[in-house]
Amino acid sequence: MFNKLENVLAPIAEKLSKNKVLSAIRDGFIISTPLIVVASIFLLIANFPITGYPEFMAGIFGEGWDGHLSSVVSATFDVISLLTVIGIGYSYAREKEVDRISGAVIAFVAFLIITQQSYPEYVNEAGKAFKGFSFGNLGSQGIFLAMITALLSVQIFAWVKNKGWVIKLPDGVPPAVMESFAALIPSAFVMVIFFGFRMIFQVTDFGYAHVFVYKMLQAPLMGFGEFAAFDVIYQFLSNLFWFFGINGPAVTNTVFRPIHEAMTIANLNAFELGEPLRYIFTGPFRDFFSNFGGGGSTLSLVIVMLTVGKSQRMKQLGRLSIVPGVFGINEMIIFGLPVVLNPIILIPFIFVPVINSIISTVFMSMGLIPLTSGIALPWTTPVFFSGWLSTGSIWAGVLQIGLVALGCAIYYPFFKIMDNQYLADEAAPQEKIKDELDDISLDDISFDDL
Amino acid sequence: MRILLFFDQTQAGAGGKERPNVELAVEKGGIGSYHMFEKFIKEAGGTVLATMYCGNGYFFDNEEEVKRKIVALTTKLKADVVICGPCFNYADYAHMSAIIAQAIEAGSDSKAIVVCSEENAHVIESFKDSVTIVKMPKKGGIGLNDSLINMIKVAKAKVEGQAKETYQEYTY
Repeated sequence: MFNKLENVLAPIAEKLSKNKVLSAIRDGFIISTPLIVVASIFLLIANFPITGYPEFMAGIFGEGWDGHLSSVVSATFDVISLLTVIGIGYSYAREKEVDRISGAVIAFVAFLIITQQSYPEYVNEAGKAFKGFSFGNLGSQGIFLAMITALLSVQIFAWVKNKGWVIKLPDGVPPAVMESFAALIPSAFVMVIFFGFRMIFQVTDFGYAHVFVYKMLQAPLMGFGEFAAFDVIYQFLSNLFWFFGINGPAVTNTVFRPIHEAMTIANLNAFELGEPLRYIFTGPFRDFFSNFGGGGSTLSLVIVMLTVGKSQRMKQLGRLSIVPGVFGINEMIIFGLPVVLNPIILIPFIFVPVINSIISTVFMSMGLIPLTSGIALPWTTPVFFSGWLSTGSIWAGVLQIGLVALGCAIYYPFFKIMDNQYLADEAAPQEKIKDELDDISLDDISFDDL
Repeated sequence: MRILLFFDQTQAGAGGKERPNVELAVEKGGIGSYHMFEKFIKEAGGTVLATMYCGNGYFFDNEEEVKRKIVALTTKLKADVVICGPCFNYADYAHMSAIIAQAIEAGSDSKAIVVCSEENAHVIESFKDSVTIVKMPKKGGIGLNDSLINMIKVAKAKVEGQAKETYQEYTY
């Protein structure tokens, strides 16, 4: 059965992970992740979820103390589409084997060309209309257009360059100058074509590409993100891939990550404005409410090993894995237990995260704990703190602890099978009187004798 | 086919990257990652006598001593082959495996193979002429199952003294 399943999954994983477009999207988002995490820390300081905290800070720093922190938040989240277009432009240029910085900047410029730049409805006292780019177009609502623009602009850029339609300077010209001239004609193609797009949208009812893409693509996809089983599908597939040794999230994120990102930033914008949060399945939900201690929610398994393991091997593995596990690292469990290609542990490895996801979704849907605010914490943030800080509610941290405990109960019977096997292995040397390998039991070994 | 395994601390379940100083140790039978390919070894009629493991930091601090002990143990247990790996793309693990495999083939009658991914280009380039290095995917890469089957095929072919041409499609 496993062979048949792998025969189905491996080609899918291979196609998804080798697809240049999907890889560029996935890696492009990763470029902006550290910025989002740092900006989130500023947001967290401005909105730390403790009663009396704002008053305490105002007492020290004065009224309006949080305004300066917001400028850092705004410089990241309100221009997330710009970060996205640059990140994906860079990654796709790498995939297409053209100059990466050129790819990033041409994508950036192409995006700005098709973005609204004047607002006749906003007129100042002198009667002049506001000219500039609005956060509304550069923030979460432009993420999907940023993706499309980056891919299309770099595609055009690479195509023109590969056609050889470039200005070639004589030998002896410095490489930097050579590169900049080589990018001139491909850049011109991109800019003219995107100017054409801008003009085409101007004559439609949409007016701008932003409106068209948001209505026709982003809103429906985010609707899929509101589908109750969205995260269950994600978790199931991610952990199933891991069982075959394939990095599951690296495969599934090619499809799911853009939707996660859009929903995360949408929630964050609402949080900043004090409006109701809308989306459950944000990036922080993905990171903190299904898997504890790494893929497969193996923190529960490690706790079981540590507390009720009878074999030396399980107890030792539990002891060694608990600290990394608290911080979400489970490499030793994945390869040292192992989980990979180990049918005994397959069922809990896949279904504990799925059950965690279902329970967290129900709790959030019923309003028993708040939705995640969009504040992005490092994925290594320990359980309880990650739930508390990402939602602002201590009860979310309590729920996480409850889920870890439930995971322990689900893992237990499967763990017991392995533990009994190890116990039998450990007891074996005493049962065999003449065993050529007794010499190498750890108690007797002395390499110096050899 | 009498097999010995050589793992790093992670594959043995003796520690993660934070514990590179795990001393050379040996345990009877297969442990840790062995369970990933236990089925294939049994299907090929192999028996894993023991698993040797060592932290990568400890190895490079005590290289000569570790090599000497592993070669001696391999000789004492009359292993047909020592499988060093699967190392995935772990650079230090692949490097120490190549050094150990080279020492085993030079200092004993046993055969040895290394199993690692193409990301270890430096190790492959430096050792491929003197050590049999079997192809495998990087950590989280595609094709792990097939590579483990190939690993056993190559080990068996070497023990049976088959010509290199019979297994070279699986090696670098």
